[in-house]
Amino acid sequence: MAVIPEPVRQQLKDRFDTVLSGPVHLTLYTRPGSSRLILPAGVGCATCEDARQMAELLREAAPEKVTLEVVDVTRDPARANADGVDDVPTMSVASNSETGRIRFQGLPTGTEFPALIDAVERVSRMEHGLSEESVAALAKLTEPAEVMVFATPT
Amino acid sequence: MSLANRMALASPQVRAVCVEANEFPHLSAQFRVRGVPHTVINRRSAFVGALPEREFVAAVLEGAGIPVEEPHEAPSGPSTEISG
Repeated sequence: MAVIPEPVRQQLKDRFDTVLSGPVHLTLYTRPGSSRLILPAGVGCATCEDARQMAELLREAAPEKVTLEVVDVTRDPARANADGVDDVPTMSVASNSETGRIRFQGLPTGTEFPALIDAVERVSRMEHGLSEESVAALAKLTEPAEVMVFATPT
Repeated sequence: MSLANRMALASPQVRAVCVEANEFPHLSAQFRVRGVPHTVINRRSAFVGALPEREFVAAVLEGAGIPVEEPHEAPSGPSTEISG
């Protein structure tokens, strides 16, 4: 399945050529797929293959800036546990090979795809774009805070 | 979800997770997702709808147990506590 059509791939490449400045490291946590079969939680993965294709297309759009590591959680459950990854597919976006704190759980299509592209670009440019007031407020956090945002493709 | 990602970029304490609601029905059920975007903070408090940056940050602090000077107002109602 071509998750991203060829014209979009070219647009992505052209955009990344001009927008990306620093390195971006993607980590994709997957499990061996089971096509489109709907299986009980923890068995197989209906969208892992599509997620892998999407991650590879992001890398191919800017191979000099974007690196990709694929972690099979069935082969390396300790890594998934250490990184706090409970479900697959999960893609993290970071500026280096450390555990990413920006994550997309599930196949990021529809409204989530622009958010993924935005995350890659902002990480590359280290550009959060928040106001000074917001940054000062967030500095009050002394412990880790998890912000989960549920979305749907449409 | 972009605001959450930007917060994660601005603060080393924030982890942003965008969850495809249809793909993880057990999570959608656990956090009582009825509409999107549905934001859950520290798996304790939640709000539905998109908030402006200032209110979103306030909601995150509030969900993390940090007092905020001005309460935020979610467009679809106040934040709710998640039990169970």
